[in-house]
Amino acid sequence: MFKLIKKGGMQKLFAFSALILIYLFFAFTGKNFTSSATTLNILASSYYVGFLALGATFVIISGGIDLSLGALMMASALIGGELYRDAGFPLWLCMVIMVLFATFVGLLNGLMVTKLKLPPFIATLGTMMGCLGFGSIITGTSSKYFPTILEPDGWFIRTFFKSANGVPLGAFYLLAFFIITFIILNKTKIGRYIFAIGNNEEAVRLSGIKVDLWKTLAYVISGLSVGIGSIFYAATYIVVIPNTGNGIELQAIAAVVIGGTSLAGGIGSLTGTMIGVFIMSVLKNGLISINLPAPYQVFFTGLVVIGAVLIDVYRNKRASKVKLK
Amino acid sequence: MKFKKSSKWLSLLLIVTLISLVFAGCATTEEDEDQYISVIAKGFQHQFWQVVKLGSEQAAIDLDVEIYFTGPEGESAISTQVDMLNAELAKDPLAICLAALSTESVLSQLQEAADKGIPVIGFDSGVPNAPAGQISANASTDNENAAGLGAEKMYEAIEAKVAAATVASPVTITVLSQDATSASVTGRTIGFTSRMYDLVVGAGLTASVTGDYAAANKGDAATSAVNITVVVGATPDITDMTNAATGVLSASNLLGVFLSNEGAVNGVLAALNAGSVLPEGVQVVGFDAGAGQKAAVSSGLFLGSITQDPFQIGYQAVALAVKAANGEAVADIDTGAKWYDASNMEEPDIAQLLYD
Amino acid sequence: MSNLLLTMKDIEKSFPGVHALKKCTFSLEKGEIHALVGENGAGKSTIMNILTGSIPYDSGDIFLEDKKAHFKSPKQAQEAGISMVHQELNLMDNLTVAQNIFIGRESDNIFLNDTSINKKTKELFEQLNFHIDPEEIVGNLSVSLQQIIEIAKAISHDAKIIVFDEPSATLTEKEINQLFKIMKELKKTGVSMIYISHRMNEIKRISDRVTIMRDGEYIGTLSSEKAKIEQIIQMMVGRVIYEERKKVSTVIEGQKPILCVKNFSSKDVNNVSFDLYKGEILGFAGLIGAGRTELARLIFGADKKTSGELFIHGKKVNINSPFHAVKQGIGYLSEDRKRYGLVLGMSVSNNIVLPKLTDYISGIFINESKIKEVTKEYIEKINIKTPSEKRLVKSLSGGNQQKVIIAKWLLKNCDILIFDEPTRGIDVGAKSEVYKLMNNLAKTGKSIIMISSELPELIRMSDRVLVMCEGTHTATLKLDDINQTTIMEYATQQ
Repeated sequence: MFKLIKKGGMQKLFAFSALILIYLFFAFTGKNFTSSATTLNILASSYYVGFLALGATFVIISGGIDLSLGALMMASALIGGELYRDAGFPLWLCMVIMVLFATFVGLLNGLMVTKLKLPPFIATLGTMMGCLGFGSIITGTSSKYFPTILEPDGWFIRTFFKSANGVPLGAFYLLAFFIITFIILNKTKIGRYIFAIGNNEEAVRLSGIKVDLWKTLAYVISGLSVGIGSIFYAATYIVVIPNTGNGIELQAIAAVVIGGTSLAGGIGSLTGTMIGVFIMSVLKNGLISINLPAPYQVFFTGLVVIGAVLIDVYRNKRASKVKLK
Repeated sequence: MKFKKSSKWLSLLLIVTLISLVFAGCATTEEDEDQYISVIAKGFQHQFWQVVKLGSEQAAIDLDVEIYFTGPEGESAISTQVDMLNAELAKDPLAICLAALSTESVLSQLQEAADKGIPVIGFDSGVPNAPAGQISANASTDNENAAGLGAEKMYEAIEAKVAAATVASPVTITVLSQDATSASVTGRTIGFTSRMYDLVVGAGLTASVTGDYAAANKGDAATSAVNITVVVGATPDITDMTNAATGVLSASNLLGVFLSNEGAVNGVLAALNAGSVLPEGVQVVGFDAGAGQKAAVSSGLFLGSITQDPFQIGYQAVALAVKAANGEAVADIDTGAKWYDASNMEEPDIAQLLYD
Repeated sequence: MSNLLLTMKDIEKSFPGVHALKKCTFSLEKGEIHALVGENGAGKSTIMNILTGSIPYDSGDIFLEDKKAHFKSPKQAQEAGISMVHQELNLMDNLTVAQNIFIGRESDNIFLNDTSINKKTKELFEQLNFHIDPEEIVGNLSVSLQQIIEIAKAISHDAKIIVFDEPSATLTEKEINQLFKIMKELKKTGVSMIYISHRMNEIKRISDRVTIMRDGEYIGTLSSEKAKIEQIIQMMVGRVIYEERKKVSTVIEGQKPILCVKNFSSKDVNNVSFDLYKGEILGFAGLIGAGRTELARLIFGADKKTSGELFIHGKKVNINSPFHAVKQGIGYLSEDRKRYGLVLGMSVSNNIVLPKLTDYISGIFINESKIKEVTKEYIEKINIKTPSEKRLVKSLSGGNQQKVIIAKWLLKNCDILIFDEPTRGIDVGAKSEVYKLMNNLAKTGKSIIMISSELPELIRMSDRVLVMCEGTHTATLKLDDINQTTIMEYATQQ
């Protein structure tokens, strides 16, 4: 165990034990908390944040940040809803377009950061606002509805949210996506380069590696995740309202940070991110299960984020101490 | 060594979090062993919802049940409300009272509630267009009755002048409405015109209802002593409502004006600001309670206004839920409306209903 | 000497791994301009930083006007009348001249009083016989005028001693004349000055005395008027050369160059051309700021050149980025390993295979076992001391970190290697291992460009030495002509 800690897994360990402790706490105090229905809710309310957070992990490890996640997810869901309701596109085509659109915006983010040399914070702040506005413009600022279970396209919910007998299918997709991204980050050169760039971009460039390419790819992966996340958001909540969604990126980033990914880049893990996502989800459902109003959820999530960042800061200090030697 | 120091920090943080959770939890969990009723509102920010909450809490005391009142942070936070509803369903409450932000987004949850045998009571605007049978009953304002109350109050004030009217010298009572499509506004229009018609006819006079909302029309204006007219603005936009109000105020023989919602009230107030004159003796009755409207009522410019009763909305929702949970048959309940004017609007039980 | 203002006696200072000052002595008279010279790393900056309170010292005494003094911070030193004009300007570009000079001393109460500081600034410039508008924004001024503002700032502290750290490095000939005029004015008012410089003729022109340092030791003090430039240089470089020198170049005569650089220019490099041959170690000599690293980065495509052509094996190639350079078989070992050479937070094996990762992919997956195998081989081959190939690079010693970078480029099979300060900050044992490694590489036909500020190692290793001065190529010395005095002459040439 000590070895694991020394290898930088300390925070993952912390996050994991925090998840277990918080879960146990609610299991004893909450109402029906260990029931399958609540477990299902914990899984269900982590779908879309989960996708966003997995994608954001790539960007954050590369040393960047993506503030456009939430607004982009809504914009892409609005586009899907508009095409489905107003243009009469088949649902599958709408889904493809949603994913393509978000991936394209991710590419834009990446190009702005690498080619135009904009700071990621500014570039993605710009796309965030752009997406908020774009979603409103194409829908004429009206809400968009995805098919409900009562409509012929009700398979949409049954496929991406819950099956008719209540199996949380979304959780399986999230798990599958986690495995794929895990492989990309840890087993392919995309991931290896993204880690290296987050660690020391200039050294990687001077090793003769096309830094711009790999960095852009991190944003593209983030955009792709947002596109997939928007499908699951639509299936879970059906209604998409224009000019909303900013704020969700902060939940995703919080999950990433809780999971031990350093905002300075170069350090991070997708397992940690998943733990972070579930900590937030357990908190959300757990506080309701002990009959506490919604604001408490935000409050306690805040505490967890501060705790996680404290560790990040502490770890960075330690890292710089090593460097000085 | 390093690790030791940091682990101290971690455990400290963890302990603080958990302790605060325990404290926060104790407050409610200890007395919460019994089953309870879950109330999910549309939001918390408006005073309206605070009063609904007071009402539901009073019902909980009177009927000796536990309730859990919750709601999203704002009326666009659909996903939060859906998550709350999911979490509530998982807790197996006795019944759920729901004011849905969007019917479409809760359809699977309603189905789930029906499958689990948890009755759902709609309150305030309820869950419009929900599939049949999935909402046990609604606790909401009956707009026709509420507007009828306005007609009665206005009739009291103009009774003498109405009695003096003849077919040769008829008088006019006008309803100004923002639109002819939304359920609440059309309900109020119908409610006011039909009650006023009944009152006039009941006094032995001839009356007619004519104007922009065909469904309300009755009688023939040419052969009536009292003409009730309905005016609907070209659009709900404030400029169109102002134009419509200017027209209404310039009509001859005008006795009274009923404004069926805040939009119509604002149209009249804007027209008056722009130079229109409220003829002497014309009685104006409004609906709802915006800041401008309250000022108009308290200054005596308006005879008075009708307000919904959010306290009763909250109270009756819980009362219905208790009945439904006990397996009794339940039906929609009118949560009533209250009349307010310059004389009573400072009284505490009225004042708390006058949400902005 | 009753005229003595400052005495520093037996100053000792050690940094981790380096004995920076060994019983160093320095003295300064009232109203004197005293030049301080020495090679890079001789300890000039260290002793001046100790004097001005920037860094603490281990032992020794400082006497200011016969009173013992010990400055714990630059502010204390300033209060005692010692100011330093740094080589890098410490001015705030967006503030005015007066605001810069009086930063931290704006007024006695909480309100700003620009009128008063403008007036004081004006008086100050009048005293210096110089005319700069106190309300001008500093960012609009030329570098030399900014330097003068730094000087004015130092004087405004009622300085008795002003230290100039290589001020002329950034100045033009005309500006240097202006600077000297000011220094002479100051001298008349009784201010003492210490002038750090590499330029022999300047020292003769401005200073009264010159103190020479070498390897952290005090070598001697001469009268500037009487001393000969050759004498000063000899004292600067005059250590015993204990490294074994190459007797004959192993480069085969008459072959075609493997790398041919023609007319390279950029902001810091001025029209440099040279050839590099197979199996050759070509040394780049020059002072700091001579443009050697900048030239290396141009060759490697790390920076953009404004003009120049590059030929490899006689074929013209375009190198616009390190990606292209590596493709052409050029490897670059940066002078700043931690910033430019290593991914510190990654393992030894990940660092070694980084440029060649594409070759260790099976399907889409990274083949970790193959990487392990090959890195183990290299760890053994060049003797990297690490408990495991999975160890994070940041936990290795400087010498072993350097070897990781060498392994990286060896694995990539680069024919042309640029070693920029390869032995900086590593201990003696590791140094000789790096030398051995470089010689072996040359023997196996690799071509090496070696940039070093340590002349002895450059002399020991190089087949030829290219000398640069201020971005210009001043000489290419053949094996027989390589010696410290000649190199220093070309490196300090105007």
